[in-house]
Amino acid sequence: MITKKPLFSWVLERHRALQLLLFLLILLTIFLRVFPLEMQKRIVNTAIAFRKIDVLLVYCGLYLAAVVSAGALKYLINVLQGFIGQRILLDLRTRLYDHILNLPLPFFRRTPPGMVISSLTSELSAVGEFLGGALAVPLINVLTLLTFAAYLAHLNPLLALISFSIYPAEILIIPILQKRFNLLNQRRIDVTRSMSNVIGEAISGMHEIHGNAGHRLESLKLGGFAASLFHIRHRMNIFKFLTKFVNNFFQSLGPFVLFLLGGYLTIQGRLDLGALVAFLSAYEKLYDPWKELMDYYQGLQDSKVRYRQVMEYFDERPDFELLPAEDRKPYDLEGPISVTDLTYQAEGRVRILDQVSLDIQRGEQLAIVGQSGSGKSTLAMIIGQLYSYTSGHVTIGGRELKTLTKYDVSHNIGYVAQHPFIFDGTILENVLYASKSLDRSFVGGDELPGRGEILGVLENVGLSEDILRMGMDSTLSRERHEQLARELLSVRGAFMERWKVEPAGLVDFFDENHFQYHLSVGENITFGSSEREGFQTAQLAGNPQFRRFLEDEGIMPSLVELGAEIALQTVSLLEGLEQDAYFFRLSPIEPQELDQFKDIAERMTRSEKEEWSGQDKRAILSLALRFRPALHKMASLSPAFEESILRTRRRFREKMSREDPHAFAFYRPSEYLFSQSILNNVLFGHPKSNRPDEAERIRQRVVDLLKDRGLLEEVMEAGLEFRVGSKGDRLSGGQKQKIAIARVLLKRPHILIFDEATASLDNASQNRIQALIHYGLRGKSTLISVVHRLEMVRDYDQIAVMKAGKIVEIGQYEELTSRKGLFYELAHGIG
Amino acid sequence: MNSPTESDKPCSSAMRDRCELDENLEILRNVPAFSAIPLQNLRLYAYLSRRRCYRAGEFLFHQGDMDDCGYIVVSGTARVLRELKDCSIFLNELKEGEFFGGLALFSDIRRLFSVRAVTDVECLTLDRESFRRMLLQFPDVSLKVLDIMIKRIVQMEEKLFQACPDVCML
Repeated sequence: MITKKPLFSWVLERHRALQLLLFLLILLTIFLRVFPLEMQKRIVNTAIAFRKIDVLLVYCGLYLAAVVSAGALKYLINVLQGFIGQRILLDLRTRLYDHILNLPLPFFRRTPPGMVISSLTSELSAVGEFLGGALAVPLINVLTLLTFAAYLAHLNPLLALISFSIYPAEILIIPILQKRFNLLNQRRIDVTRSMSNVIGEAISGMHEIHGNAGHRLESLKLGGFAASLFHIRHRMNIFKFLTKFVNNFFQSLGPFVLFLLGGYLTIQGRLDLGALVAFLSAYEKLYDPWKELMDYYQGLQDSKVRYRQVMEYFDERPDFELLPAEDRKPYDLEGPISVTDLTYQAEGRVRILDQVSLDIQRGEQLAIVGQSGSGKSTLAMIIGQLYSYTSGHVTIGGRELKTLTKYDVSHNIGYVAQHPFIFDGTILENVLYASKSLDRSFVGGDELPGRGEILGVLENVGLSEDILRMGMDSTLSRERHEQLARELLSVRGAFMERWKVEPAGLVDFFDENHFQYHLSVGENITFGSSEREGFQTAQLAGNPQFRRFLEDEGIMPSLVELGAEIALQTVSLLEGLEQDAYFFRLSPIEPQELDQFKDIAERMTRSEKEEWSGQDKRAILSLALRFRPALHKMASLSPAFEESILRTRRRFREKMSREDPHAFAFYRPSEYLFSQSILNNVLFGHPKSNRPDEAERIRQRVVDLLKDRGLLEEVMEAGLEFRVGSKGDRLSGGQKQKIAIARVLLKRPHILIFDEATASLDNASQNRIQALIHYGLRGKSTLISVVHRLEMVRDYDQIAVMKAGKIVEIGQYEELTSRKGLFYELAHGIG
Repeated sequence: MNSPTESDKPCSSAMRDRCELDENLEILRNVPAFSAIPLQNLRLYAYLSRRRCYRAGEFLFHQGDMDDCGYIVVSGTARVLRELKDCSIFLNELKEGEFFGGLALFSDIRRLFSVRAVTDVECLTLDRESFRRMLLQFPDVSLKVLDIMIKRIVQMEEKLFQACPDVCML
């Protein structure tokens, strides 16, 4: 298991060829480090002493070559070392993530997501950086040290011996200091944590502090921690700088001894001057490798701690294998499902399931009922292999569930949770999640379902209307939907034809002489759309030409004022809600832009309008141009402002048709408007009322026309591209639930498990799913359904009634009702 | 407060001197069920609410409908009716500032009564999804909101049924 691997196994097991190359480069570089010293000696002793210019040139040349290539090699070694480190990190990170994904669910109940995230990102990064040099750094430095030592010994054994005697003293003293430092550092972390708690509490209880004049009390609380932090920090500094001092002291002790002794020996004529110079140079060169070794020592300590912490945290065995050991297709398991003496103990030895036995025939439909806490969900989750079991047996088609891989189970069982998770992306991606996972797990898997099947399943779970609505509200792209756009234009004609008179009261038609509340201010000015870079509605604020036009028309100051108002209002309204995209549906600012506008709003309130930067002005101008009066409530337009927008619209059209007639497609009944939704395109306007019943009436008319032309599927396909937002925030609870059911049905599993899967649906949708289960799926899939509402269980083949982890009654509806046992009591609200 | 404008357009979507958010906020602050909610929170309710307009004689909803909104009358008057097999009983009159239909904010239920506009009526509505998101997003205010809301709704519905006269009893 990955979490048991020692830190250094990552370095030793992988990338051996690269490591070898690194080692060779290191040997070479060590040679190149010593070589200049020898040159130095010869320059002094041979070239200078005998006044030979040509020899001097040769030696100097060699010296330079050696120094430059040592530098170049060092560069190569660094790059290679970094590369190895990052490769190991990549390996480590992906393998650890795979391991974490495989850990049992109870693990994640007690693990905060932040812990997993920081482990996989920052903690491992530091380890990876260290591992890159884990072999090279000690090797290069120890070898360098030894080589220099040998060279020094070769120059003068006595001097060498004396200068080396310093190091053992250092090796003894420094780890002691470091240990004291580490202890203090640990205490610093603890105290800092406690101090953060005190501050956090004070902030959340600020009104209590203000109300009771508790300032002094709180200040004292913090003071205690701050004072001990001061002491700890101070002592840490003492040790830190003491370490530095000791190091420096011993380092400078060396030259002192050398000058004294070496000088004496040279004066005595027992040592030549060149050798002394070389000796001193070599001695100074000892400092760098020594320092690097010390750093390495600290890095090693740090990485060991981090690595151990991370790995210990995730050191848990997955309950099930992901893929089979041998290469095979997944088993086809259709049933029967047999549960014998099944027991499940949670932590703390509570028996959540206690000797449960149960048989479900292939194609049978079983309902599990019982009060909350009776263990009904746990039973369903165990059969769905979401939990492992303590003792007893669960077999599906004769195979023990524990021995099956995730991949076998997923191929056969579809599990729908009570609160399903929807991933960021489109509806299509979400409904295909289960099918795609299977497809990715093995080669030659089932084909992904086609459009017809997807729409069929969405119809079955009752999502068609919603998808159609999303489709009608979506915009098309000119490249991908040319054909559809043309057909929709003819639908527009038909709509006009059929509802010529009546919709006048219901639809706000695009009319060049009226201000359109449903269009943005920008669209109201251009009253058209452009494919040209810089002229697209979202880019207009960044287009200097357009800005100059607005200035010339004198409308810029009012627009900037409007944008500023919107920014201030929206920021104060939605600050802190960035995580829930739902709140941004009626806002011109997107969640990810809120921070930016928050900064802008802050700068704007601090300074006069004349001082606002051009960049800030552009940002708020773009906000003003996005403003859609019918949708965005945080600002309003005065009639005079609307008039001036209409005036600007006319001037803009004049200017564009004069200067650049092809840049803009103005809103005309004969053009498809790619900036507008499908619905608005058919209407060539916007439904006036925001009353759902009236909007629905118009929508229904459009739907009828689309149906006549056979365009419904195309429009729904556009609806499948609806982006659901992070965690599906832009969907309602019911829609999420239906998507979860659809994605499991699209997998076509033999066995379905619904864990209160319809609980958050409204009655109509619940009945629809119920009908689907009992008529559509009967005989095709075996079904296990945890049911909360007892009026839903009548049509099941078997009903298991659970209490305190045991099945107390099992049988058909009539049977259980007439028995007047627990089921009867539950159904009649007794007890 | 807005009065209904021309008859073919009971409420125009813009043309206000204040922005809709501020107007909605002012309305909510005057409704007891909402007035106890902290202002910063109430602004969000105001932001998530929508205006709806009904012409005189139109039904806002029928008894037995599935509807997911709570309503506040902004202008005009409406009548609460209980529809029986052969006749309907007039229960109460709703005037400016009254909050009704709030039970739908909590759960997916059928309407217990019908409401019909007597004059042109403009309402402020809040839908269940928005209401729930607010509860989830601000758990510390949630309990307070729930408490006040439920008390107000019970009072409101009690008042409705007290008013029930003894006509049409079988």
